[in-house]
Amino acid sequence: MKKLYSIFKQGIIFDNPLLMLMIGLCSAIAVTTNVSNGIGMGLAMTFVLLFSEIIISLFRKLIPSMIRIPIFIIVIAAFTTIVDLVMKAYFPDLSKSMGVFIPLIVVNCIIMGRVEAFASKQDLLSVIADALGMGLGYTWVLVGLAAIRELLGNGTFAGIQVMPASYEPILFFILPPGGFFVFSLFISLNIWLKKKMEAAARRKELVSKKEAA
Amino acid sequence: MDLGKILLLSMLVNNIVVMRFIALCSYIGMTSDLGQSMGMGYAVTFVTVLATAATWPIYHYILLPLDLAFLQILVFILVIASLVQLVEFYLKKNIPGLYAAMGIYLPLITTNCAICAVTFENITNNYNFIQSIVYAIGVSLGYLLAMILLAGIRDRMKTSPVPKFLQGTPILFMATSLIGIAFMGFAGLIK
Amino acid sequence: MKKTKLGVILMLYASIACASLAIVYAFTKDSIERQSEIQLQTSLKEIFPQASTFELVEDLTSPEPNIKFEAVYEVKSDAVPLGLAIKASGPSYGGNATLLVGIDLHRSIAGVRIVALNDTPGLGMNASNPTYYVDKVKKVTFLGQFEGKYIADPFEVKKDVEAITAATITSKSLAKIIKTAGETAIAYMDQKVMMASMEAEKPNGETSIVAPPTASTGFPIGSSEGKSKEKIPPQAGGK
Repeated sequence: MKKLYSIFKQGIIFDNPLLMLMIGLCSAIAVTTNVSNGIGMGLAMTFVLLFSEIIISLFRKLIPSMIRIPIFIIVIAAFTTIVDLVMKAYFPDLSKSMGVFIPLIVVNCIIMGRVEAFASKQDLLSVIADALGMGLGYTWVLVGLAAIRELLGNGTFAGIQVMPASYEPILFFILPPGGFFVFSLFISLNIWLKKKMEAAARRKELVSKKEAA
Repeated sequence: MDLGKILLLSMLVNNIVVMRFIALCSYIGMTSDLGQSMGMGYAVTFVTVLATAATWPIYHYILLPLDLAFLQILVFILVIASLVQLVEFYLKKNIPGLYAAMGIYLPLITTNCAICAVTFENITNNYNFIQSIVYAIGVSLGYLLAMILLAGIRDRMKTSPVPKFLQGTPILFMATSLIGIAFMGFAGLIK
Repeated sequence: MKKTKLGVILMLYASIACASLAIVYAFTKDSIERQSEIQLQTSLKEIFPQASTFELVEDLTSPEPNIKFEAVYEVKSDAVPLGLAIKASGPSYGGNATLLVGIDLHRSIAGVRIVALNDTPGLGMNASNPTYYVDKVKKVTFLGQFEGKYIADPFEVKKDVEAITAATITSKSLAKIIKTAGETAIAYMDQKVMMASMEAEKPNGETSIVAPPTASTGFPIGSSEGKSKEKIPPQAGGK
């Protein structure tokens, strides 16, 4: 159980796919113009990641190494299509506002990367923990980005007016350059957080070594 | 929409990297060297145009008439992946010099969001074949432009005093943000 | 031998994937198709709240080569005509944009709704954003400013149309689509009135759909909304 928890934790800050590993950026920043889109994309990506990892982990002994990449692609594409169809059918507004970024989940480096590096080699429970951790890491960054951009750039949060009426929204944050700007600060914040956590972990190690000695 | 407009829009005004956030992985990963960036840009241009030429007819003459449009994602990505493989084999056998130059980028291109995005958008924008090809060329040239720009900037930044909290990747995104603001000026080109 | 075995395995995975997708598609297909129908009906109802029927009108085409009329509806409340609704698509920033334009009997726009817009989020897409206001004081959205607008107006950005910030091209394209739909609708309605009055003079004239024209407007005021003739201020919070 502890092992599962540590796998899960990994994706949230230390190996955050967006901020540290720098993968899967494509669909990420673009959809963060408002919080609903951010949550929607986070959930969609997590769904595809989770089920792709599950299927590939379950079938890992039955996938010949030579053709593993095409098979991974088939599985990921299938789940992406399922998300696309379900969104078009039951969440058409969200689907339209996310546009081409839902099909782009299929080339999302996060999914391909995790499936190749992890799911094809690990057991079912581990991959579930990994997928959920990575998905959560992805989603919190998206929601955080979207919250700032929407709040400062439009005065709203998920469509609900939050800023006072006299607030003049700063258009910059909704525009693409603003997205890069906020994202850059997020990375900076995450690096700082990681350093702090590493330092704390090292201090703990030193203390426990001293006690052992 | 006339072809010149499509070209200008896709290459400058709506630059795929700087204004639409697509293909960022390779943008950050491959711009540490100018030669690498240019190689990647050319490779992407080549594969994107080929992919468009392949996927557009497949969608309009096979998937749509047979009511198989829901297989679009699956089919397109497999076509792109196979195309990249084929190009790799062909180059390896027939033009080994070019293969050596492009070699490492080719497998990376399979997951390049730009190519995928272009093939999908040709369909959603209802472009005819010629428009799709022009769009593909425009987007890829825009990608090449963005890559070269960032590679040049990174080169300069090696000897610049970057503030501590922006060192590493944050400063790259800041730079991209500024490039983006500059690119927004191109919107005036279109009347 | 090994290669064919690999090929077969690959085909197997691909077939399973396609089969599962076909199942999901079968489940969602109706819902997806219904969504566009539902959206159209909802938009029509929003523009003409008193309407009870929408009859498809054939043979009304747009004079502009770029702008296509995908569907034209005659809007009625019981048998009383309220106006026309045109689903028009034309070129805009990121490809084609499709709008539903409602024209009422006062030669003005009853309302505009987005059917399909493929634009940059935060810029052109704000045309469909219900919380994006071109007039923040009066809380008027981009499409909301067209409600009650007379079709005889120039419909030009920076003159009588407020553009979306940093999305002038989109604003111009959408304004053009609305104006074209409006002008064609008025021409059609005038033509129908002329035909109806000619028919009314026939000995065995069938019941004309529209009442004979009044002298001043050239088109009957059949709407029971009782709008005044001055420019109607855009409704607050209108989409």
